[in-house]
Amino acid sequence: MSVSNLLENWSDFRHTHPVDDVPHNPYKWAMSIDLDACSGCNACSVACYAENNLPVVGKDKYAHGYAMHWMRIERYWDEDGRDFPDQGAQFLPMMCQQCEAAPCETVCPVGATNHTPDGINSQIYNRCIGSRYCEANCPYKVRYFNWYDYPTTDNVWPAEMNQQLNPDVTVRGKGVMEKCTFCIQRVTVAKNNAKNEGRLVHDGEVWTACQQACPTGAITFGNLVDPESKVHKQWQAQQVELAKDAQTKDKEEGGSELRGYRIFEELRPYPSVMYLERVRESAV
Amino acid sequence: MMNSGSVKHLAGHPFDRRDFLKVLGWGGAAVALSGCGNGSVEDGKETVVSYVETNDYMIPSISVYFNSTCAQCDAGCSITGRIREGRVLKLEGNPNSAINRGKTCGLGQAGVQHHYNPDRVREPLLRNGDQGEAITWEKAYALIAEKLNGVSGEEIAFLTGGVSGHLKVLLGNYLDSFGSKNHFVYEAVGPAVLRAANKKSYGVEMPRFNINKAKVVLSFGADFLGAWISPVHFSQQYAQFRKGVDGQRGVLVQIESKMTLTGANADRWLVVRPGTEGILALGIINALGTATGDIAAAVKGYDKARVSKDTGVSAEQIDKIVALLKERTPSLVLAGSAAEGYAHGSQNAAAINLLNQVLGNVGKTVEAAAVVPFPQMAPATGNTFALKTLNDGLNAGKYKVLFSYAANPVFTAPGAMKFKDNLAKAGFKVAFTHYLDETAMQADLVLPLDSALEDWGTQVPEYMAEGAQINIQQPLMEKLHANTRGMGDILLALIKLRRADDYKKYDDYYAYLRAAVLQNKGALGGGVADDDTFWNETLSKGIIKLASAAHALSGKAGAAGLSLPAPSAIDAQYPLQLIPSVNASLRDGRNTNQPWLQESPDPLTTIVWDSWVEIHPRKAAELGIVEGDIVEVTGKNGSIKVQAYLFPGIHPDAISIPLGRGHEALGRYAKGYGVNPFQILDMVFDKETGELALHETRVKVSKTGSRVIVVKDEGPAGGSQMGKKIAARLPSDKVKLSEEVYYVG
Repeated sequence: MSVSNLLENWSDFRHTHPVDDVPHNPYKWAMSIDLDACSGCNACSVACYAENNLPVVGKDKYAHGYAMHWMRIERYWDEDGRDFPDQGAQFLPMMCQQCEAAPCETVCPVGATNHTPDGINSQIYNRCIGSRYCEANCPYKVRYFNWYDYPTTDNVWPAEMNQQLNPDVTVRGKGVMEKCTFCIQRVTVAKNNAKNEGRLVHDGEVWTACQQACPTGAITFGNLVDPESKVHKQWQAQQVELAKDAQTKDKEEGGSELRGYRIFEELRPYPSVMYLERVRESAV
Repeated sequence: MMNSGSVKHLAGHPFDRRDFLKVLGWGGAAVALSGCGNGSVEDGKETVVSYVETNDYMIPSISVYFNSTCAQCDAGCSITGRIREGRVLKLEGNPNSAINRGKTCGLGQAGVQHHYNPDRVREPLLRNGDQGEAITWEKAYALIAEKLNGVSGEEIAFLTGGVSGHLKVLLGNYLDSFGSKNHFVYEAVGPAVLRAANKKSYGVEMPRFNINKAKVVLSFGADFLGAWISPVHFSQQYAQFRKGVDGQRGVLVQIESKMTLTGANADRWLVVRPGTEGILALGIINALGTATGDIAAAVKGYDKARVSKDTGVSAEQIDKIVALLKERTPSLVLAGSAAEGYAHGSQNAAAINLLNQVLGNVGKTVEAAAVVPFPQMAPATGNTFALKTLNDGLNAGKYKVLFSYAANPVFTAPGAMKFKDNLAKAGFKVAFTHYLDETAMQADLVLPLDSALEDWGTQVPEYMAEGAQINIQQPLMEKLHANTRGMGDILLALIKLRRADDYKKYDDYYAYLRAAVLQNKGALGGGVADDDTFWNETLSKGIIKLASAAHALSGKAGAAGLSLPAPSAIDAQYPLQLIPSVNASLRDGRNTNQPWLQESPDPLTTIVWDSWVEIHPRKAAELGIVEGDIVEVTGKNGSIKVQAYLFPGIHPDAISIPLGRGHEALGRYAKGYGVNPFQILDMVFDKETGELALHETRVKVSKTGSRVIVVKDEGPAGGSQMGKKIAARLPSDKVKLSEEVYYVG
């Protein structure tokens, strides 16, 4: 696909979900993360390693940027030129935002990354040819490539360590792209259980690994189209709408009492993760 | 092989009920024992179950869950293990524990990597020159008996980390069997000074801190979100605190010389000259102007001008804090490890505790903690004074036999203590261990332990969140290695060599624990349930919740004996203060061989797999140091070479190196990564408690000329958002939290 073709026919190539004839029904998985609660402790990240068979790459490979942390904590400082960071640091848990118009999906030459009907940006490992276009096109830099065959690399999963691998999650080999799946293995179990019982998954029935570990309860996960779900209520209270690229908060002059925002909304990827702004006391 | 004491036992020493209670750990109990007898004892027979005809709950591909207790630190979080096809895959928090309420930290998550660690010791090893020779357990026990033969109680020492529950009972009874009182409980980074200061200020060592009930938290270097006392519990309280009492969001002010994770989350982070935390606390009391009597007299000299000059905190900032404390009550003041780590650490902590008293927080946000009514099982908490005492004893050649469990002093003792050399003076050294750590490498006999996910046990947390609880530890899967043993089983086997009659009924530690719990069924909430039902329920819950009284707090300590030294002058030869920092994942280094923790970035610097020295950018510019420069940090007791990281959250006259790395042994993921600042600590001790003053080391920094690329998660933009709205922030007067939809976990 040439660049000129891509640019000229952009609207044909661009996929936004949900498409009119296939709305999100009955599920649209989404998240909200309260940055005022998040302490930056990294428990979510380690829980993700445990749940999703993430390889520990070691110091040398980490230095080359080969870390495989699907969930990472970004740390920012104030840029006010002061000597000391007297309002602390800013922490941001960053993982795949499960965009509704995912920039990574359009560029995959083999359709290895695509959208599921319940609104997750999925990665089909055995279809992936390792072009890494998706990684290049992701504005959040949350896609991770297997530069090595970690299952056969020394000291990644040596004897006994390999017994910890989660049998519900594929162990990825060399040449494959991977990323956060919203713990789709847990979602799938919950959906199957619900289906067997002739009902829908109810709120709180499925937790992502990061959400379950989070000591401050900063992460909420659930079905955005279920009006009873916590995540739906939070999005609604913050007046953040999935299919918009500018929210009530952004329109108000001089700021707003709302805290909900999505990162890089202006790029129109329509992410499924809403963050709640960190609050800092004005009195001190 | 027995000494006369136990021969008397064998010869029919009267075995009364009081002794019997002591055997099982209920001695001195404040709660009455029910009259029930012992139930049947499990015969320990192993059964092999085929998947064709399994137990009801064993279905291939379906997970089952068992409750146990996290052993990664001493906080005592309850965990639920996910087990599939007989393998434990993941640990989650147990929602029924008041301590962690279903949550875990990263350290807790890595508990499976302790269990499956490839570097665990698998056979008992006997020193043969430089080599460890695999021997049988029978031979190991016989050897211990032989070495103990003819040795008096005073010549035996038992070094452990913090222990509690029935393990502590057995250990105590084992030492009793020799008439030895030499149980040294050592924690390298425990809050020992704080315990002593709390005892004086509040009448108890460890009260409850209700962060969630406070409107303002003023923390003097207490890293309660990171590594302080019970971080998962405090993190949950913190989340509630941020949502606020009556919708008023709690304000966190953190005062410290090196930014901790908690400091990074503060509304206001105030850098203070190292060691002057107590002066600032007294200055705040003075500025509050509400104190009377001897307290007012004690703080009289601490006017704003002086305090500001001494601490480096501006008078304007002190006014703001005072206004905040007056306006919003109740508040909570915490004295953390950063305030404790000085020669006047006790005084610092006392001054800070006094601020709580003046603010009227005692009884509101500082409350009496529930107490487990069985003193024999109460946690034995450790300190560095114990290590010093042991070290002096070893140096004097007092000990012929030394046992070591859950402590690694060869790694964590200050190099100047020469612990390794002194250890060599003990005749026979036995290490009970999971890994060949630095201390085990010096042992004559290494006995391999079951992992925490294979072993039985009871644990009593030092910090009680709400009601008193005893935590149950149980195996989450079959043992990985045939020749490891549980610490309880080993102690039982050893004590049987001494007091066979008392313990012969208990085939193994499991049987002992079961008998112990069932014997006191009534007090443990068993009521009229039959033994099997109660025992199974206990195991399935993983927690025994107890009705218990709390110690009353006294909040009238006053200012008697309070005296703080003036800030120390800068040493011309060693102008910088070394702050050895305690990272939430690596702590004192016992868990460093868990690769998830090595690869989990330090939250503040995002560095992985290595040590670093934090230097303030201003000081770095002065010294001509840039990021990645390998610098030599030299003190009176040696030097270490480490990569520099320019860090804005540190006092320019201080530098900080994290603890936990720099292992010379332990395992493949730990050995050779980073440096160990314990090695260069100055031997300065807190004047009151004799605790090692961790922050009192003076150093100088010089460039070596070499430079590396720092391996870290942070990108080339450093901490900058490059003008994008990535991690956004609002001032509190711009939000209405009370109108938000919010859910705690």
